[in-house]
Amino acid sequence: MNQNTDLLTLRSVSKSYGTVPVLHDIDLSIRDGEFLTVLGPSGSGKTTVLRLIGGLEPLTAGEIWLDGQEISRMPINKRPFNTVFQDYALFPHMTVSGNVGYGLSVRHIKRKEIASRVSQALELVQLGRFADRFPAQLSGGQRQRVALARALICQPRLILLDEPLAALDLELRRQMQEFLKSIQREIKTTFLFVTHDQEEAIGMADRICVMQAGHIRQLGTPHELYYKPNCEFVARFFGENNLVAGKLGPVQGEQRPIETALGRLVCSVSGQPHLKAAADGASAFAAFRPEALRLADANDGDNRFSGVIADLAFAGSSTVATIMAGADNAAQRLRLRMPSRIDGSILKSGETVSLCFAPHEGHLVLA
Amino acid sequence: MSGVGSTQAAERRLSQLVTVLAFALPVIFVLVPLAIFLVYSFFSVDQGTIVHSPTLGNYVRFFTDPIFLPVFWNTIVLCVSVAVICILLAYPAAYFLTTLKGRWRYALLMLLLVPLLMSYVIKIYAIRSILGLNGFLNKALVALGILDQPSTLFVFNMNAILLTLSLLLIPFAILPIFLSLERIPQTLLRASDDLGASSLQTFLRITLPLSLPGVASAASFVFVLAIGDFLTPQMVGGISGFTFGRILYSQFGTAYNWPFGAALSVALAIVVIAAILIGERFGRSRGTSV
Repeated sequence: MNQNTDLLTLRSVSKSYGTVPVLHDIDLSIRDGEFLTVLGPSGSGKTTVLRLIGGLEPLTAGEIWLDGQEISRMPINKRPFNTVFQDYALFPHMTVSGNVGYGLSVRHIKRKEIASRVSQALELVQLGRFADRFPAQLSGGQRQRVALARALICQPRLILLDEPLAALDLELRRQMQEFLKSIQREIKTTFLFVTHDQEEAIGMADRICVMQAGHIRQLGTPHELYYKPNCEFVARFFGENNLVAGKLGPVQGEQRPIETALGRLVCSVSGQPHLKAAADGASAFAAFRPEALRLADANDGDNRFSGVIADLAFAGSSTVATIMAGADNAAQRLRLRMPSRIDGSILKSGETVSLCFAPHEGHLVLA
Repeated sequence: MSGVGSTQAAERRLSQLVTVLAFALPVIFVLVPLAIFLVYSFFSVDQGTIVHSPTLGNYVRFFTDPIFLPVFWNTIVLCVSVAVICILLAYPAAYFLTTLKGRWRYALLMLLLVPLLMSYVIKIYAIRSILGLNGFLNKALVALGILDQPSTLFVFNMNAILLTLSLLLIPFAILPIFLSLERIPQTLLRASDDLGASSLQTFLRITLPLSLPGVASAASFVFVLAIGDFLTPQMVGGISGFTFGRILYSQFGTAYNWPFGAALSVALAIVVIAAILIGERFGRSRGTSV
């Protein structure tokens, strides 16, 4: 269970349905014991990645390796992985314990051992009382947990979860997120979780793999993806962001300026050699999060510009202002997020304000 | 106002009429004839005329006469055998259909069901000529060296009825089995594979149990159709192939004993209703939703 060793590796994996390509040359390594989330909009190929690993579909090209052994053509029932399906796929004619014990009983394990492992698994997912019920008698969240118990009882090397929370309502989804994460920590099995919901991804994953149009756009920790997105897609897809287009100026140490409609903005390029190496005058975006943007005071020199507050929205703990800035205060739409105050916002709709963000909170994304 | 009121009243009368008809039609065309039958079974016949005074004589005769109960029992055994043969042949065919993709599946299903559109009597004639002494079956068996000379084993006896009814009724078994197989969600089969089951294990533990409702309704279908049939035994059964349906037919025809025929019909109806109830009971599976 060393988090630094690779459990499973995809090498140049491609997949087409007929003549329609859905995955292009994917390379991906999954570390032993991690919670890896594959995140992407629908049609990005994320579920296909999971189905290829699980053996539900054949590869068009490329290889899959497990522990230094190629398993690209290993049949589905021989792979040491188990899947939690999107619609749970519980067997309707079996009880909860029949479902959970299925993976063991097809391996001809002794009845007594099956019974004890089933009750252990049901305890783990807190369904001990429901052993003799049928799936139709359970709620969505309970079925979800049966599906999870059924997948983990075979002690797979990898558990594949295909948008398992999509059918649940918001409150239950939150509970199940915490629950899944705690189970994963307890049994220390590698989880590969597919979702289109970025909040879900941030909340659970050790690492996130962002996919779009059959390509992996970025693989990293939620923190890396949030603060150092490597492309426009990730910067826009992952959390709310302000992107301002411009041309790169010459590198200044760990910072680099960019000429934009808001004037010259200076952003950090620390630890990102590809941003330092980009040619002067190259098209890029300055990216800064709504919570990094703030009202400027007299001491602020860098990244200062003015804008008009077009709209104010109270969102509970925070207040979000939509700001129009740039030429004629109309060229660029920005968002600013600040903590809400009990005595009302200090911002007024229609007011012209002076704004800024700190260079180390700004980031560059190549166009 | 009064115009609107009267059209509303007319609509209400129309909907009342439809409701009454919906209840009345089955009563008039199903329950009333059955009731008449039941009443008739308590009458008797004296020198060609029906005596309208209640008696249990017909039922006493049915249970005590050494002819009727054995034929009744043999006919039930025959029809259960037909149902079993039909299921055994129809299941693989239906399963094969579900493995086909897209339009092939339904094209082939239609082909299998085409015999239902043909005249029943013509089909019986065709099968009789296949089974006969100079028929295709005997010629083929002799040509293959399985038989030395044509056999009379296949026509004008119980075997002939068994074979003919099975052939005629297979389409009625394929359809419900096919439908129940097709309703099984593919993800259940993938889930079984994913949990390590071999394809045989997946079939025996997932596909087969989930298709049993279809098998049950197919079996009760075939049984009910077979036991009510008197034409097939009449045409291919000869003298030795005597079934309950033929006795019934003769009571209403040659013997002209409608009250006794009605009593025999009541016995048959009880078996048929029981078969339908049993089929329905096994056809209902626990929690079919996923």
